[in-house]
Amino acid sequence: MSDQHQYGSGQADTHGHAHGHKTAVPASLAAPAMVGQWQRRWLILGVVTGLLSLIFLFLGEDGINHFLRAYVVGFMMCFTFMGGGLALLMVQYCSGGKWGLMLRRPLEAMTRTLPLVALMFLPIIFGMKRLYLWAAVSNPVQALKDGVINSAQAHAIAFKRPMLNPTGFIIRSVIYFSIIALYTYLLNKWSVKREQDKAGNYEFWRIKFENLSGFGLVVYAFMLTGPAIDWVMSMDPTWYSSVWGLLFLVGQGYAVLALGILTLLQLSKAEPIKSLFRKTEQMDMGKLAFAFVMLNIYLAFSQFLIIWSGNLPDEIPWYLNRFRGGWGVIITIDFILHWLVPFTLLLSRDLKKNKSKLAWVCRIMIFARCWDLFWLVEPNYPDSARNLHMTPGMAAYFVVPVALISLWFAYYYAQLKSRPLVPVNDPHFDEILEPEHAH
Amino acid sequence: MPMQEGIYGLVAEFDTPGDMVRATEAAHHHGYRRMDCYTPYPVEEAAEALHFTKNRVSLICLLGGILGGSTAFLMQTWIAVWSYPLNIAGRPLYSWPAFIIPAYEWTILWAGLSAAFGMLAMNGLPQPYHPLFNAPNFRDGATVDKFFLCLEATDPRFSLVESRAFLESFNPVSVVEVDH
Repeated sequence: MSDQHQYGSGQADTHGHAHGHKTAVPASLAAPAMVGQWQRRWLILGVVTGLLSLIFLFLGEDGINHFLRAYVVGFMMCFTFMGGGLALLMVQYCSGGKWGLMLRRPLEAMTRTLPLVALMFLPIIFGMKRLYLWAAVSNPVQALKDGVINSAQAHAIAFKRPMLNPTGFIIRSVIYFSIIALYTYLLNKWSVKREQDKAGNYEFWRIKFENLSGFGLVVYAFMLTGPAIDWVMSMDPTWYSSVWGLLFLVGQGYAVLALGILTLLQLSKAEPIKSLFRKTEQMDMGKLAFAFVMLNIYLAFSQFLIIWSGNLPDEIPWYLNRFRGGWGVIITIDFILHWLVPFTLLLSRDLKKNKSKLAWVCRIMIFARCWDLFWLVEPNYPDSARNLHMTPGMAAYFVVPVALISLWFAYYYAQLKSRPLVPVNDPHFDEILEPEHAH
Repeated sequence: MPMQEGIYGLVAEFDTPGDMVRATEAAHHHGYRRMDCYTPYPVEEAAEALHFTKNRVSLICLLGGILGGSTAFLMQTWIAVWSYPLNIAGRPLYSWPAFIIPAYEWTILWAGLSAAFGMLAMNGLPQPYHPLFNAPNFRDGATVDKFFLCLEATDPRFSLVESRAFLESFNPVSVVEVDH
């Protein structure tokens, strides 16, 4: 009898256990107060570094030039988060999955930073002549005679004139932003409508989002080659690489996933994410980030290997400009931060389960993207090619990108807290309330 | 090895992985250690409920990968630099970028093979005979849609009557006695 009693209590225990595991829907799905705190901190950092950045405008040619180059690095990071947020948002609508449900609101908040990123683009138009050789040189033949540019540059600028001219540059940039704006507007508008839909109509919404996102992904993937070429590759008008757009696309996935995971890890210190962010989804996102780490090095190395194997005079100088004269140190650190560290750390299962360690890997990944952009941008210019120089202007890289990224973060957190942190009108929402072992 | 006779254990059949995992957790809590879960697809939580300790398969996989990668790289270096030096488009003999891709492929190949064979070496497979297949419901369901928890008779806590009552307290589809 006593044995039976024992088993009976065992049964009650297990049932109690099971009920204890089922997460209750948090009282409020709104962002906790700490998001506002983060927003203020980033805003203060952004304003302080922003004011410091302005100093470089008074440091003569060297200061202004480096200010603008560092500005492009910062701008490209903000664009990466915004555009990549849109791309990953569309990916998760097409792929489904509980990781996508958890990331959906942070990704939407990233896309809604579009007005700020578009505003940030304006100084690049004004600084065009200092940033882009093709914009500075209106008559390549005369410039060649004057010895301002070499014959390869003169030929490339004349040949690429139909594309690389200031008017075309501005028109195309407007088109890129318009395409992103269209998808950002529709996805965010429908997302609100979907939550307001009392009847649920899950299948209706799922198909609607899938149709928009599936086509949108194709459009975005092709479109991204444009800004990647216009804004970064054309700094050196002589060089070209066909994998360039894809490299930026993968880089966006890499940075956005790191930022998305980091956001969720930080939000998980308070409700509602604290009880909704399960280890299962955390692990899945870690694995996905690992895939992007591999894909990124795969593309970056294949571009290098093909150009190295070809060893042609119109391609190889781009790499030589970035290996010689001290730049070898920068690319070595880039390789370590961009691939070696995240790759070896994300292999570990235990690390992907550990919140604070995973958050540090994400921070390293985001920093590595900035570092990589520095390596891509700065050696395009004659004073820096094959010459990692230490003029006062170079210090701009320590403040200008920080200012832009900080302001972007402040805007991002403002957007993040404007909506509930988890979408409810989705069957996956019930699934994340399940105990982790009930598949 | 002499023929083993008698009972191997009691196997409880469940319809959902959740029920099986809950029963496993309770069994572990109750003091059972010699038990195992059998599922048609990997249920990670079952491994947690059984308190699986870490094994060395991941270490073997890592070592295999490192050995494979470095072997491929060194072999190419040896061929290109010492064994059969060839001038290819004026490049240096030690052209490491070209060695990376075969080294990468060998890393994957050897990591994969090490993981597969390391796993087989350490889990006792292949095993042509297992007593659990004597249970007809196990034969039919274990690879399709049923989830099984087996308490083995070698466990000190095992008792045919009490263990059966214990398993039945979780409302399984059935509890079957399995002979060797």
